[in-house]
Amino acid sequence: MIPDVPPESRLERMRFYRYLLYGCAVLGAAGFIVAETLGFPLVGVGVYWSGLLGMVAVKFGTSVGLFDERDRALERRASNVTLYLAGGLLIVAAPAVFALEETGRYEAPPVLSGALFGFSALFLLYGAVFLVLKYRP
Amino acid sequence: MKNDIRRRREASELSQADLAEAVGVTRQTINAIERDRYDPSIELAFKLALFFDCHIEEIFDPEVELGFDDD
Repeated sequence: MIPDVPPESRLERMRFYRYLLYGCAVLGAAGFIVAETLGFPLVGVGVYWSGLLGMVAVKFGTSVGLFDERDRALERRASNVTLYLAGGLLIVAAPAVFALEETGRYEAPPVLSGALFGFSALFLLYGAVFLVLKYRP
Repeated sequence: MKNDIRRRREASELSQADLAEAVGVTRQTINAIERDRYDPSIELAFKLALFFDCHIEEIFDPEVELGFDDD
C-alpha cells in the first residue's frame, strides 16, 4: 500500500497521485528508449514493465480516486471516435485493396495488409466484447 | 443541459474547487457543467442538489421532449 501524503484536500491528493501515475509511465517509457539506445534491450523492457507496475501500484494502492466521471466520459468518447475512424478506414480501404490485388495490378505491401488484418482483429474483438456486455446476466 | 450552478455557487461564495471538493469531482468537471459542456451523471446531479438543498429540476433544465432521440 502506498503511504498517503498529508491530505490538504482531496483534489490536491488526486493531483499528486495522478502526477505519480503519469511519472511512472514517462519514466518507464523514457527508460525503455534510453536502454534500447544504449544497447540493453532486455533492461529496457524491465524498466518499462517496472513503470507499468508502478502505475498499477499507484492506481490500486491508494484510496484516492484518480479520475472522475467526466474523465471516464471523455475516455469513452475518445474510444468511440477512434473506433469510428478505424472502422471507416477499414470499410473503405479493405475491399479496395483486395479488389486491386485480385486484378493483379497492385500488390499491397506487408505493412498495409498487416494493418488491415490488425483492424479486422480489433473489430472482431470489439464485437465479442459488445455481445458479452449486452447479454451478460 | 442548461443549469444555474454558477449562480448558486457564486451566491454561496464558493469557488469551483470548493464545490468540486464537496461533491467529489475535479474543478474542471464543475467548470464543464457550468458551461453546459458536460451533462453530469444522475448520481452527481443528486449530489449537487443535495449540496444546494434543492431538487434536481430546480438546478437543471433538460429541455427534453417525450419520444426517441434522432441520433
